[in-house]
Amino acid sequence: MLTIEITVNGTYQQIQTAPNRSLLDLLRDDLGLTGVKDACGQEGECGACTVLLDGKLVNSCLVLAAQADGREVTTIEGLQQLERLHPIQQAFVEAGAVQCGYCTPGAILSAYDLLMHTPHPSDEQIREALSGNLCRCTGYTKMVAAVHHAEKELSHAS
Amino acid sequence: MPPETITIGKSEARKDGWTKASGQALYVGDIPIKHVCIGAVLRSPHHHARILAIDPSPAQMIPGVVAVITAKDIPGEKIHGPLVQDQPVLAMDIVRHMGEPIALVVTEDKTAAEKALAAIQVEYEPLPAVFDAEKALQPGAPQVHPGGNLLCEYDVSDGDLQEGFSQAEVILEETFQVPRISPAYLEAESSLAYFDEDGTLTVVVSSQKPFDDRHHIAMTCGLQDEQVRVKSAVVGGAFGGKEDSELHILAGLAAWITKRPVRFLNNRWESFLAHPKRHPATLHYKLGAKADGTLIALEALVHMDTGAYASYGPAVGGLLTEMVQGAYHIPNLRVLTRVVYTNSPYSGAMRGFGSPQAHFATESMLDILASRLAMDPLELRRKNILQPEDHFFTRVQVGDTARSLPLILAHADQARQRLRQLPAAPGKQSGVGFALSLQSMGLGHRVPDDSTNRLEWSPEGRLIVYLGSPELGQGMQTAVEQIAAETLGIPYQIVDTIDVDSRISPNGGVTCASRMTYLLGNSVILAAHKLTEETLNYAARTLNLPRAKLEYRLGQVILPDGRQMPVSEFCGRAAEDGIVLGASATFSFPYPAERTPEHLPIGMPHMMHAFGANVVRVEVDPELGTVEVKDMVAIHDVGRVINRAGVEGQVEGGAVMAMGYALYEDVCLKENQRWVDSFTEYLIPTARDIPENIEVILLELPELSGPFGVKGIAEMGLVPVAPAIANAVFEAVGVRARELPITPEKIALSLVEG
Ligand code: FES
Ligand code: FES
Repeated sequence: MLTIEITVNGTYQQIQTAPNRSLLDLLRDDLGLTGVKDACGQEGECGACTVLLDGKLVNSCLVLAAQADGREVTTIEGLQQLERLHPIQQAFVEAGAVQCGYCTPGAILSAYDLLMHTPHPSDEQIREALSGNLCRCTGYTKMVAAVHHAEKELSHAS
Repeated sequence: MPPETITIGKSEARKDGWTKASGQALYVGDIPIKHVCIGAVLRSPHHHARILAIDPSPAQMIPGVVAVITAKDIPGEKIHGPLVQDQPVLAMDIVRHMGEPIALVVTEDKTAAEKALAAIQVEYEPLPAVFDAEKALQPGAPQVHPGGNLLCEYDVSDGDLQEGFSQAEVILEETFQVPRISPAYLEAESSLAYFDEDGTLTVVVSSQKPFDDRHHIAMTCGLQDEQVRVKSAVVGGAFGGKEDSELHILAGLAAWITKRPVRFLNNRWESFLAHPKRHPATLHYKLGAKADGTLIALEALVHMDTGAYASYGPAVGGLLTEMVQGAYHIPNLRVLTRVVYTNSPYSGAMRGFGSPQAHFATESMLDILASRLAMDPLELRRKNILQPEDHFFTRVQVGDTARSLPLILAHADQARQRLRQLPAAPGKQSGVGFALSLQSMGLGHRVPDDSTNRLEWSPEGRLIVYLGSPELGQGMQTAVEQIAAETLGIPYQIVDTIDVDSRISPNGGVTCASRMTYLLGNSVILAAHKLTEETLNYAARTLNLPRAKLEYRLGQVILPDGRQMPVSEFCGRAAEDGIVLGASATFSFPYPAERTPEHLPIGMPHMMHAFGANVVRVEVDPELGTVEVKDMVAIHDVGRVINRAGVEGQVEGGAVMAMGYALYEDVCLKENQRWVDSFTEYLIPTARDIPENIEVILLELPELSGPFGVKGIAEMGLVPVAPAIANAVFEAVGVRARELPITPEKIALSLVEG
């Protein structure tokens, strides 16, 4: 066992964990952050486990819990502000980009990361940014539309 | 113009969107429950083997192991199956496919589960295995089941085949092959079993049919159905693949034996090997036509590999047989379909249910014929489309729905002309192709096909819908809420749906077969009328007025003097009196006698259909053989749009799923004798693969028996896409794909061979 220090969605924590566990297991099993999903058996193929690690997009199944020591993690649960959905979350709901929802948290975090770096992305940039997040329901079209919706919302807000 | 509506036709945001987008939605794996055990399954490493001995004792000694369960521990039925009882809950003396469950371990943590699975000793005697439906029928083939490898056979004909071919001026023969497809929903199968407050065995399922699961769980545990409670969790996609109860039976059994809460979460490879897939098939066609393109005779011989267990194979075989005809009038027609056991992982229900297989063959065949006759493929189709007064070769009358076909062809023609104008990227060759489609709704004649729901006013005057069938992600709940709101004249925002819980929900049957919005919508309308009546009766009693003097309009009770009182006022009063204002209703699929002749050559023909088309523009790299789908126009007759974004989402999602069918996906046996069983090798379409433009054209020719005119739309979007892509590839580079998926290697090879 080792103790790691980690800030998750703004809260500093010390956690005891076995060294060989994935960050995904730590977030889900120890911290109850079940918005982080596993859809491929932790093989780095589905993107359902996407989180931000020090502001960088990662597949949390491919990160060891130990590697997150001293770092900051944002999950889908950290995106919304209190009772209000983040504009990107809102846009996904309104555009019909959410069906079964299993891919949704990961896809929203990818969209968030994109819009932080590229406030006015092209369709192609959006598709590229979402290409690591498998979705079997939507055909992605409404997700691309949702990112454009969110783009407008966010540029009005700023 | 359709009349003004309150909510019908609008893209209302789905109510579970908030919880899903915020990560709060609870799928089976997310439900917090104290001291829940890990359930894991020991699965066969062999394709076919005799089990000589199982020794669980080394596993039982491992710390953290609560129990190891094998077939001999099962208190009730040891065999199950949705249509044919052929599938052991846990293998006894034989395993018939790789991944078949042999034993369960219930442990305190994941590490103990891994160790326990490795410690169970199983002695096998490997047996020869067969993976090909035609080979499995040859003499001397390994026998998968004692009764032989032919699970079932359909032989359906109309007209006189010999006569038909004798009149034909051109006869073509072709063989097509389609692969095994994983539904690949992102949430693999999952099940959580525990004992509720009053000690009842409760199983929370990710399933299309919780009530049937309950029955199978009860049978296996030796209980009555009522002794088991099932609840539906949020479901992470299903597409037909969650119509089998396997994992829910295992979870219920494990909890019943150990008296502990147990959660089973299939890993991705387990989902590939041990849950149903779309059937692979070989379709041999012989088609006869006149020189002017009039279709005159078709004979099809189909072999479907259903794998080690029947699952829904017999029903899929039936619908595949029906769908061979496609959207065309073919006077002399015979289809012989054989559904065959092999040692492949089993196939069963998956979106389209036999229709995608049949359409790939039929729609490719028509383009081959057009090219042979030097005819425009669209003109060829126009010449042969079904008319309302025609009957299908099942003898079911086609009816009014065929009026959509000329419109669909007109849209397809326009789309085709527009897409043909678009230039190919440098080094690429562009081609435009299209295909028509036919898809049925409902389960088929003589199959009990109904749905029940209950509506209640809450004390504060919100409408509560108790659906008896689970939402799978497709948005059926939203559609039903909109239908309820429209019927009662209240805002969509005040309608809530309660997820399936066998303790409080009516049994609404299986969510499948593009039937839910149609059936539930109808039953909701019936229940809403009853609820109005109930509400007015109550109002009359409390106001001391004759019932006949009161009216209901838009959520208000209208008094004799014209004053209005909101329903919420009565709901509150009723609640204080301990009365619930509610009503239930059941709607059954109609089988109008005038459309169903006495003699039906196939047991359960489908009665209701809708047509559509898909037009694609592809760009093919002639050196590499890669195919990119650049533009797509999907044209579908949906009867009536209830939620526009929802319908578009179904069509787009189906179409993109079908791109995987056409271009990438195949659960095949690799050289090392293992199956493709991970997303590393099994590539499903990503956001990078989708067409730059997808246009969805929705036609609304109402189904008169449908709620507000609705037709079922969940499967149709998928059906015409694969043949449309194959036809486009042919236009681009002259290569005719007779086999899916159309991989770059196959195209490059054909181009080299010329
Ligand atoms: S769980 Fe699939 S990429 Fe991490
Ligand atoms: S919404 Fe179901 S996987 Fe994306």
